[in-house]
Amino acid sequence: MTSPSQAAIAGAETPDPDGVGLTSEPSGGQEPAKDQLVGRSPGQLMWMRFKRDRTGVVSAFVVLTMFAIAALAPVISWLYGKDPWTRYGQIEPGLLNDNGYPVKPNGGIDGEYWFGLEPGLGRDVLTQLVYGMRTSLSLAVIITILSVLLAIVIGVAGGYMGGKTDYFLGRLTDLMMSFPNQLFFVAFVPVVGALVVSPQDEMPTWLRASVLIFVMWLLGWMTLARLLRGQVLTLREREFVEAAKVAGTPPWRIIRKELLPNVVTPILVQSTYMLPNFVTAVAGLSFLGVGMPASTPDWGRMFATGAEVYQSNITYMFFPGVAMVVFIVAFNLLGDSVRDAFDPKSGR
Amino acid sequence: MRTARVSVVGLAAGALILTGCSSGGGGDAGDVSKDDAAKQQVRYDFGDAAASKGPAEPVKGAKKGGDLTVYQRDSYAHLDPAQMYVSDEGTMSTLIHRRLTSYKRDSAGKYTVVGDLATDSGQASKDQRTWKYTLKDGIKWEDGSPITSKDIRHTFERQFAPFISEGPVFIQQWMAGKSGTGYRKLLPDGPYKGDHLPDKVLETPDDKTVIFHFKDPQPDLPYALGMAGYAAVQEKGDTKEKYDKKPVSSGPYKIASFKSGKSMKLVRNEEWDAKTDPVRHAYPDAHNIQFGVSYEASTKRLVSDSAENQTAVSYTNQVDASSMQSVRSDPKVKDRSLSGYQPYVGKISLNMDRLKDKKVREAIAHALPAQSLVQAFGGSGGGELAGNYLSPTVAGHTESDPYGKVENPQGDVKKAKRILKEAGKTGQKLTFAFQNSPEWQDYSIAAKDNLTKAGFDVQLKDIVADTYYDQIGKVKNKYDMYHSSWGADWPSAGTVIPPTLDGRQVQDGASNYSHYNNPEMNKEMDRISKIKDPDTAAKEWGKLADKILKEDLPDVPLMYYKQIQLYGSKVGGAVNNAVISSIDPTQLYVKK
Repeated sequence: MTSPSQAAIAGAETPDPDGVGLTSEPSGGQEPAKDQLVGRSPGQLMWMRFKRDRTGVVSAFVVLTMFAIAALAPVISWLYGKDPWTRYGQIEPGLLNDNGYPVKPNGGIDGEYWFGLEPGLGRDVLTQLVYGMRTSLSLAVIITILSVLLAIVIGVAGGYMGGKTDYFLGRLTDLMMSFPNQLFFVAFVPVVGALVVSPQDEMPTWLRASVLIFVMWLLGWMTLARLLRGQVLTLREREFVEAAKVAGTPPWRIIRKELLPNVVTPILVQSTYMLPNFVTAVAGLSFLGVGMPASTPDWGRMFATGAEVYQSNITYMFFPGVAMVVFIVAFNLLGDSVRDAFDPKSGR
Repeated sequence: MRTARVSVVGLAAGALILTGCSSGGGGDAGDVSKDDAAKQQVRYDFGDAAASKGPAEPVKGAKKGGDLTVYQRDSYAHLDPAQMYVSDEGTMSTLIHRRLTSYKRDSAGKYTVVGDLATDSGQASKDQRTWKYTLKDGIKWEDGSPITSKDIRHTFERQFAPFISEGPVFIQQWMAGKSGTGYRKLLPDGPYKGDHLPDKVLETPDDKTVIFHFKDPQPDLPYALGMAGYAAVQEKGDTKEKYDKKPVSSGPYKIASFKSGKSMKLVRNEEWDAKTDPVRHAYPDAHNIQFGVSYEASTKRLVSDSAENQTAVSYTNQVDASSMQSVRSDPKVKDRSLSGYQPYVGKISLNMDRLKDKKVREAIAHALPAQSLVQAFGGSGGGELAGNYLSPTVAGHTESDPYGKVENPQGDVKKAKRILKEAGKTGQKLTFAFQNSPEWQDYSIAAKDNLTKAGFDVQLKDIVADTYYDQIGKVKNKYDMYHSSWGADWPSAGTVIPPTLDGRQVQDGASNYSHYNNPEMNKEMDRISKIKDPDTAAKEWGKLADKILKEDLPDVPLMYYKQIQLYGSKVGGAVNNAVISSIDPTQLYVKK
């Protein structure tokens, strides 16, 4: 949260000629250093504002915890003594009933299987979930990083160079935007499979993951690229850029030193929106049965299974569902807070 | 905007949390077991004239009148009997098409092959090369004209016409004495250009008599004549290709309207005389069939039992695997359910061209977990562990279990590992192709798990459901193992063993998916198919099936398919008919 008074003060400041934004501002709390002007970098300022935003801090904590859980999946599995591949319910009699559903209430939750058992195959839900999160989150992080990088290249190039380059890059962006990515993916995977994999072999998991990353990356960078192009387009005409040009600064340096630092805010904010989107998109593909292969634990496929068994065992949907909702909400709130912290003027 | 978004998400989360409890599945073992199998595992006797007399044994408490709503997943692609080979078409056809013979089920669940249009199940000559049928009196088409031997002759002659391509070909092949499609040369254009079958093949000396002459003994003819594909077609009303949309009815119902893919209405055929029919009833005034109702949807509707669903039923829709638990754990719904066997046996075919070492095949057989497949199909309501190739619905079925598939439902990985090691093939690559459906996807995970533990390098290959059988049906396919299922056309193993295990039939698209070819066994098949006594033949088939399984192991048997079907609370007379493997539509009535 940014208090209105502070926003008003901030708004009254004049940006410095170097264009990096506000270099000075009354320090964080209104109380202690009211009259003192202290020099602070924008990063420090952002961090101070962010720390004051309770929602932001809480959601950041939640998000980090989720990432930690995902990253530590093997450790959790080791401590807990189960793995996501063993079919406990099928191998140990008495866990699943004749119809393949857990015998115990609430999806078979007990001291042994904390989150219950998967109907049918009888795998452990807790380890499935943490490993599934690991799969989904690592895919989403990789896709986000690649998409952001490509978006920066295309967006900044288009915005800075203008003219024909801009025109063609803009049309390319439009073209890519018109592809429905789920359909594209459904159509794309078998083609790659037939081209690369021998008909006797299974498509290896890494290849499947690479194809998934490639397609999502290919179709995921456009929004940010457009945004950056617009930003760069306005920045290009600003005095400090013109000054740099007049001084004979090479374009590459202008982009690096003058333009990029000014678009850090949209990049960061946009990527905090993109990442949860990719998580849901990857989950959506798995839900449709075209995501990762069936033996890899996957968050999205847990929803597909949950949708199949919800009539008799709603509990199965509960843990992956709550985890997903909490993650997406927390990440979106975090994104909002980051934006507010960077740019307190942007209204609400 | 933001607050709105958060609250919506919050609501969803709340809903999830509120509903996140469920009762336990309980340990209920379920209801269908071998008792039903025993009931269904009967010899289908050939009935005499007395058994073939109408009317059919009345259904207890049945009343005439009322309309029945019927939910069906698939529309009927064919209404012309000669084009019918798909089982749900066959089920419906019992209402509109009569044949020379039919299967009668008595109230004790015993089946007899009786004369339907004919006065008995057939009079065979001693060598069983000649079969004589006499038509009943008072049998009529829906237009009131009598059904004569001319119509029967026409029925069989048009089976040779080029446009008839989907139906069964047994009798045509027997008439021509040829396997494969060679029978078509006997009457290339059907009866439409004035040619007819010679008297030495099919004889109709008068209006009431039909005599078949075959080159080889055909002890199974009465079974074959009971297939939907050999139901009678009216010569006068035959419109060739168009007959497929508007056939002339001989059964208790006729087609009032048929909108392909949407609906079909069957109304009473007034010309049908119950006194001539030993099998069928016509209690409801009409059957209103709706197409495009998925298994899941029909299950939900019939479980709800609300207003119009009380008088609803489905001939062939089953309870889907994921609803199995809710159906079987609710006693009220369970009371309105029927369970029974389907004729299919689920097997893993081992490609004999690629897996030449029997030890390797043995290791696979021991490693595969059969229970996982049953579970994938919804537990014991969807299937039962199989020990051998012959389903309990086929005469000659035994409980033999040479590879311990029933004894060790999870597979014996240790034994498999040992055998594979002995063979020196540990680490062998094994490509397992499977249909890309939830059931087989689930099973592939379990199978891969066990096979990997046994020491194989398993490569899973999922194949789109539509083209699955085309892909594995190619003789030169690149897969080591794949699942296949086969059901008997009539309850004789003669329609199971030769089609799936006769090595002379190996060709693209043939049902011998393992490419098994053992001349010794082929000869044995020829010998058994000429045995006249059905009981002896059944026993011999059983022995041969077990011998092939034990000695050569071309397929690993895993599961006998089963199904559960539901009907509304105001529907009476619902029984599972083992011959059509579904609810018998001719016995249904609407309760008042």
